[in-house]
Amino acid sequence: MVKEMESKGLTRAREIYQDRTLRVKELKAEGGSIIGYLCIYPVLEMMTALDLVPYRIFGDMGEPITKADAYLPTVVCPFLRSSLDLELKGKYAFLDGMVMAHICDVGDRVAHIWRSYTNYPYFYFIDVPHTVHRAAQEAFKEEIKGFKKSLESFTGKELSLEKLKKAIEVHNRQRTLVKELYDLRKPDPPLVSGTEILQVMVALASIPVEEGNELLRQAIAEAKERKGGHEKQTARLLIWGSIIDDISLIEMIESVGANVVMDDTCVGTRFYWPEVELTEDPLDGLAYRYLVGINCPRTFREAVFGETKKDYMADLESRFSYLKYYAREWNVNGVLLQSVKYCDTHGYEVPGVKDYFDSLGLPSTYLEHDYSQGSLAPLRTRVQAFLETLG
Amino acid sequence: MTQEKKRAINRLKSMYPIRAQIDETYRRSVEAVKAGEPTAWVMLNFLEGDAILNAMGIEAIYPENYGAVCAAMGAAQPYLDRCEEEGFPTHMCGYARNCIGYTARMMRDLGEEIPPEAPMGGMPKPALLVSRVAACDAGFKWFQALGRYMDVPVWTLEMPVPGVKEGLSEGVYERNIGFITKELREFVSLLERLLGRRMNWDKLSETVHDLEKIGRVWHETNELRKAIPCPMHSRDFWTCMTGAATPTGDFKEKLKLYQNLYDEVKYRVDNKIGSIAEEKYRLGFTDLPPWHSLRLFDTLAEGGWNFVIETWGYHPPIPMDLTGVDDPLERIARSSYGGFITSRYKRALEDGEYLGFLGYPNLEYARDYKLDGFFLHPLLTCRTASTHLWYVQDRLMQKLNVPSILIEGDIVDIRLFDLADALKKAEAFEEIMEHYKKVRREEGMEW
Repeated sequence: MVKEMESKGLTRAREIYQDRTLRVKELKAEGGSIIGYLCIYPVLEMMTALDLVPYRIFGDMGEPITKADAYLPTVVCPFLRSSLDLELKGKYAFLDGMVMAHICDVGDRVAHIWRSYTNYPYFYFIDVPHTVHRAAQEAFKEEIKGFKKSLESFTGKELSLEKLKKAIEVHNRQRTLVKELYDLRKPDPPLVSGTEILQVMVALASIPVEEGNELLRQAIAEAKERKGGHEKQTARLLIWGSIIDDISLIEMIESVGANVVMDDTCVGTRFYWPEVELTEDPLDGLAYRYLVGINCPRTFREAVFGETKKDYMADLESRFSYLKYYAREWNVNGVLLQSVKYCDTHGYEVPGVKDYFDSLGLPSTYLEHDYSQGSLAPLRTRVQAFLETLG
Repeated sequence: MTQEKKRAINRLKSMYPIRAQIDETYRRSVEAVKAGEPTAWVMLNFLEGDAILNAMGIEAIYPENYGAVCAAMGAAQPYLDRCEEEGFPTHMCGYARNCIGYTARMMRDLGEEIPPEAPMGGMPKPALLVSRVAACDAGFKWFQALGRYMDVPVWTLEMPVPGVKEGLSEGVYERNIGFITKELREFVSLLERLLGRRMNWDKLSETVHDLEKIGRVWHETNELRKAIPCPMHSRDFWTCMTGAATPTGDFKEKLKLYQNLYDEVKYRVDNKIGSIAEEKYRLGFTDLPPWHSLRLFDTLAEGGWNFVIETWGYHPPIPMDLTGVDDPLERIARSSYGGFITSRYKRALEDGEYLGFLGYPNLEYARDYKLDGFFLHPLLTCRTASTHLWYVQDRLMQKLNVPSILIEGDIVDIRLFDLADALKKAEAFEEIMEHYKKVRREEGMEW
């Protein structure tokens, strides 16, 4: 049952963003089971269908990393270091279990290290293939079948196909509502800011899916009632890259004269855009959505499977054509490519994705930061300089 | 008359022909291109693709190895700089940046001609890129990124790496063998289409068997290093590892060379000949060494430091009984997945360890090779080599009272390694090793 909330819509999202445990701690007190998950590959629908509450693991850009450095070198993803740091400080102690996946090579190691130093009643690791063709899809289907079985064993409940299909529908509804909310960024000026959008996305990752859907409906209604939206700016930016789970970066960009109108990050479109096709065996649709539908650089893609000829532009088109759609539909006139330091999967991608935006005639610039609020100050000047080039 | 200073590390004579065969790789690849034969740039791939390429008559070149060559010969810096100019972040893998810079120069400045300054004759433009996914994101992202410079097809070798507990769940092992085998069949199909010729399956079977034999004798050689004093130093391992981990050339000839190596090491064991004059400390080393500063090991050898075992991922797979497995592709799958990836999963889980592939082997090494310490070398540009080392350090100490020294550096970029500082730290570490020798003895441990 969806809880009656005191605050609503964007205000509620901001409150949850500011204290992500606000709702799950209530649910926990009521006897609910909260399962943490890292990144976007754990299959949420299965957890929802078994009445578990998925709770996404994030880091904290405002919290200095003090404990994790005893377990991880400083030259690995600062987001993962920050996440492990929060775990070691007991900030995820309320969780009943944890699901991690092969999100990237460092993420894989961190998952096993995490498991070694914690003692959750439930822990599961999902291996994710790195290619997307038929054999990989079949292998991934079997992999998530194993995940399903382990959840059934943990909860002592059977996960029926009907329940799973229902959960898929609820999560798909959320994805549709997110797209509706994103549509409100299309007007000039947009009806919702990039900062507000991120607050909603983080809130959705912190509450049960049905409650998230209600929150989205309220946020959409609220934004639609706005007259004139936010301040009109010359720059309408798309943000591409590694995880952004903190509003500091977006706030900084929006404070120097830009509207952030679209994103390609894993707290935004990368997570919510692909829907699950309701296939006869729901595992087929789920395997496809999570392996093929999610477009993260951690997976290898090519224009044609097993191609004997290669064409660079065709390759870029097959990997990034969705960005053309985003740019056109959201009337983007500049792109900020950003990544946390030491992220290999994004790092190798930068010149290629930049080439693609060049081919579209869209100016772009690349920023790197160390996932701390302090590291954003020097970037401010670079963003301002980039905005000047947009006129 | 001046007396020549005796070298601190007693190198194996049988190592030199192996090195010579490895060095031949570059010359052979250039000749292959001149003769119109196909070549491929290949990532170290846990022996998933090497036998297949060999059987199809494709000359394989390993740009990772070439990165080490460029580093050791002081030729890497201009390629690293070029990679940076191309817009790639500087924190990326040194081998990859060397290769991307090299490729940009070859393809954009020189019209596909090998750069004249390239060491060992350089790497010619390949007909195919073969990447891998296991254990390293650079393993496939790097070759994907080369698409900017070369319109060359890329094949990505899949390799599941499940969690320790999940990997031991019912049905998972055989399912993954099936997946890998299916993928390899697709790989063969691609090669057939690319080259316009069919796979000779008998030849592939023979090649797979040859590679298994090389792996077996190389594995047994490394087992001999458990002897005290250790007969073979890590310097010899590193020289020989590429011949077996990234095999090229005539596999039958290679087998003979590794058999000679085994014989020499066995002779040393039988006659209690160590690889350094006086073995005071037995150490493990992980990950790759600073290729540009290998004299570090000579200096440490003078102080009695013998390096007796190295990173698991560069060792041969643990030999398996594959009797009755006739399909060569399935043999490869079983050997690569079962011999490399999951070979220690069962024992890791029994030991309560979850980093079964690259972390746990170090604990086994410490016990089996009776190590006094571990030299951990996190590579500042390599997450694969570094992410787990702090964990390994903690586990070695908590479970086995084996101390380790962490010295940061890089395989290619000499600016990231401070030799003098490393030696200073090593001096202090001797006292720590002495202390824990006593602790282990007091606790009734075997060494």
